Amino acid sequence: MKYMHQPRIWLLTLIFAFIGCSAFRWDKYPEVIYNDREPLISVTYDYGEIEIHIPLYYPRYRPEQIGFQVFANDDTTFPLLSVMHEPIDEVVLFLPHGVLDIDSASNRIRIVPQDIDFWTRYIPFKGVNSGRIDLPLTPVDFKPLLVEGIVTWAQNDSALSNIDLQMGLSGPSGAALAKVTTDINGYYQMGIPGEFMNSQNIELVAGTNLVFQPIRQKLDYSNTKGLYRNISIGPPKTHLGPVYFTNKENVHFRESPEIGSKTLFLLERGEIFSVKKMTSGEYYGNIEIVLSNGKIQNMAGWVLKEDLSLMELDNIYTGDNTK
Amino acid sequence: MKYLISSLAVIIINFISAQVSLNINAIPRGVEVLIDGESVGKTPLKDVMIRPGMHSFELNKKGYASLKHSVDVNPAESLKMDYYLNPIYSIKFFTEESGLKFELNDVHKWRKNKIRLEIEAGEHFLRVYQNNKIIDEQTFTVDEPKSIEYIIKKKISG
Repeated sequence: MKYMHQPRIWLLTLIFAFIGCSAFRWDKYPEVIYNDREPLISVTYDYGEIEIHIPLYYPRYRPEQIGFQVFANDDTTFPLLSVMHEPIDEVVLFLPHGVLDIDSASNRIRIVPQDIDFWTRYIPFKGVNSGRIDLPLTPVDFKPLLVEGIVTWAQNDSALSNIDLQMGLSGPSGAALAKVTTDINGYYQMGIPGEFMNSQNIELVAGTNLVFQPIRQKLDYSNTKGLYRNISIGPPKTHLGPVYFTNKENVHFRESPEIGSKTLFLLERGEIFSVKKMTSGEYYGNIEIVLSNGKIQNMAGWVLKEDLSLMELDNIYTGDNTK
Repeated sequence: MKYLISSLAVIIINFISAQVSLNINAIPRGVEVLIDGESVGKTPLKDVMIRPGMHSFELNKKGYASLKHSVDVNPAESLKMDYYLNPIYSIKFFTEESGLKFELNDVHKWRKNKIRLEIEAGEHFLRVYQNNKIIDEQTFTVDEPKSIEYIIKKKISG
C-alpha cells in the first residue's frame, strides 16, 4: 500500500480494471427478435337469446295445456320450437339468436290449446336478432257454435230473403244470443260462443219477422261445432186450398160452426190455416200440429172468418220487410 | 320540429342498441388496448361499446411482443376477447468458437462471440456460417431468460 500514492500505479490499476471488465461485457443486439408467432386470441360472441312474450287471456275457461309452435320465414311445416305450457297469463318462449326473419312479419306463433273446443290461432310477427319481442294480448277462447242453411218457402221451395233468424236458449228466460237475416239466396249463418256447447236447450228460431208463427228447432252441439239446418217456412205443399193465418191471439178452433160448439183449442197469432170450405161467417180447414215426437198431425176445425187473413207471399212480413 | 326530435331519438336508440358490448382480458394484466388506433384503456376492459364491422386491435405492454390484428365484429349482444401476449426474454448467447457468423430467423445477423438478445418466446431458427458457408442449422425454443452456448458439433469419423 505504500506505492498507492504514486500516479503511475493508479493509472496501471485503472487500465487493468477496464481491460478486465471489458472481458466480461456483453454487447446488446439492437433489435428485439420476434418469431412472428400467431397470437393467441380467443373471441367469444354472446349473441343473446330471443325472448318472445305472449300475453294470454281466457274469456271463459282455461284449457288444461296449450301448445306453442314458432315458425319463421312463412314456413308452417317445420317449427323452430314446439313447447307445451300451462295456461298462464304470460308465456315466454326462448329462441337462439338469429333464427327469425327480421325484415318482415313472416314469422308466426301457432297457439294450440289442447282441447278441440278451442280455437287454434296464428300470430304473425317481425323478428329480431336477439332481445325481447312483445306480442299483442291474445284470447284463448272456445270455437263458436255455428249453424247455417237456406230458408225456403215450403209451397214451392223458393229461397226466401230477409227472413230473420236467431239463436238462443229456449224457455221463458231464454234470450237471443245471435241474430241474422237471410241473404238474397235465402242463406244464413250465425254462431254463438262455444261455452254453450253442453247446453241442451239451444234453439234456432226462424221467421221472427213473419206474420205467422216462427219455426223453432232444437240444436244439439254435443258432437259438433257446426250444424246445417235448411228451413221450410209457410204452408206445406199438402195445403191445396187458399191459405189463411190467424190475425190475433187466442183464436177459437172449434169442432163445428154452430154457436156454442166445442172449442178444440186456442190458436196463437200467425197459425196457418188451410181453408177447405166456408159458410157466411166461418171457415173450415186444417191446421198442422207438431206432436211431441216431432211428427206433424193435420187437424180439421172451424175458425171465425174475421179471425183469419188471406196469406200471400208479399204480405208474410211484418213491419217494413218485403220479400 | 317534433318529428325531427323523434326521428333523431329513434336514430340514437338504434345506434346505441346496435352496438356490441366488448370485454377484453389479457395475460398479463395491464395491457394497453388500441381500437382503430385509439387507446381505450388497459386490460381488463369491460363494456367497451363498439359497432359491428371491421376493427383493428393493437395490444402493447413493455416486455411483451405487441399484438395487432383485425376482427370483423358480428352484431351480437356482447363479445369477449382473451389475449395471451408473448413475453420477450433476455438471452445471453455466446460461443468459444471463432470465425462464426450467426443468423437468426433469416433476418438478424451478428459475428460477436458474446451477445445479449431480446427474443420473443417461442421457436427460433438459427443458421451458422463459417467462411461464408452454412455449417449448421437448428431450431431452438426460448421459454425463459437463459444463456445459450453455441458449440460446433464434432463429426465422429469412424
